[in-house]
Amino acid sequence: MKNIGRSLKWSGLLVTTGLIVQLLCLLRIHPMSFIAFLGIGCPLVAAGVGLYLFSILSQTEL
Amino acid sequence: MSAWIVVIIAAPTILIALFVGLRSGFTQSKEGKMLAFVGLLILPVVCAGLGFQEQMTRAESTKFCLSCHVMTGYGKSLYVDDKSYIPAVHFQNIFVPRDHACYTCHTDYAMFGTARAKMRGMNHLLVQYFGTIPKPEDIKLYEPYNNRECLHCHLGARRFEEANPHLKSASILADVKANRLSCMSSKCHDTVHEVGSLKDATFWKENAQ
Repeated sequence: MKNIGRSLKWSGLLVTTGLIVQLLCLLRIHPMSFIAFLGIGCPLVAAGVGLYLFSILSQTEL
Repeated sequence: MSAWIVVIIAAPTILIALFVGLRSGFTQSKEGKMLAFVGLLILPVVCAGLGFQEQMTRAESTKFCLSCHVMTGYGKSLYVDDKSYIPAVHFQNIFVPRDHACYTCHTDYAMFGTARAKMRGMNHLLVQYFGTIPKPEDIKLYEPYNNRECLHCHLGARRFEEANPHLKSASILADVKANRLSCMSSKCHDTVHEVGSLKDATFWKENAQ
């Protein structure tokens, strides 16, 4: 349970950071915002979601 | 779609993700598992998808295209006070929406044309930030401008179909419609952005009385 707790913590932090970056990218209409959205925001959210999925799948007993 | 929708969905998602992350013990209960599923999977994916859609829409705006320094001259050329400048005529007379002027003329009106235009745009961004930026006057189209893009709006219009220069010979309109005779490279409408000679041009001042 300790491991999944740590995974969920990291997952939550990654998703939160990614979404904050994505929101900041909406403040300006600029190519740099577009690049930051695709290059930083989306990978952070994807990593958080991926980590969450990995953590629940690794805890599932088949 | 307004960016506000993304903000409205993202704000509670951030709170849920933060809560689940900091209070992971809460996820031992059934309600906690459901909250984690929504806050760490469903809502982030929805937010990223809506945000991506919003960014793609913004990437079609004139403001976005003219953000890069190398495009400054192209933006200025939209205000040239000369009817022979095709982009300027279209922009000033609102033949194209001013807030989407670049995209309206430089997208492909064909199957997957939007996707191709977006990929070209991505390439421009890579060059802007990671490549060697060419001089404005050295920027060329990837391929000759296709009449299809002009005909998307002009085809069937009386002003186009019955224009005297278009009726000089029987074959002109047929050749134009078949893209055998370019609208731009046949000494008819061949003055476009001309960024190399803008210092000699006079400019239209919007809202000037």
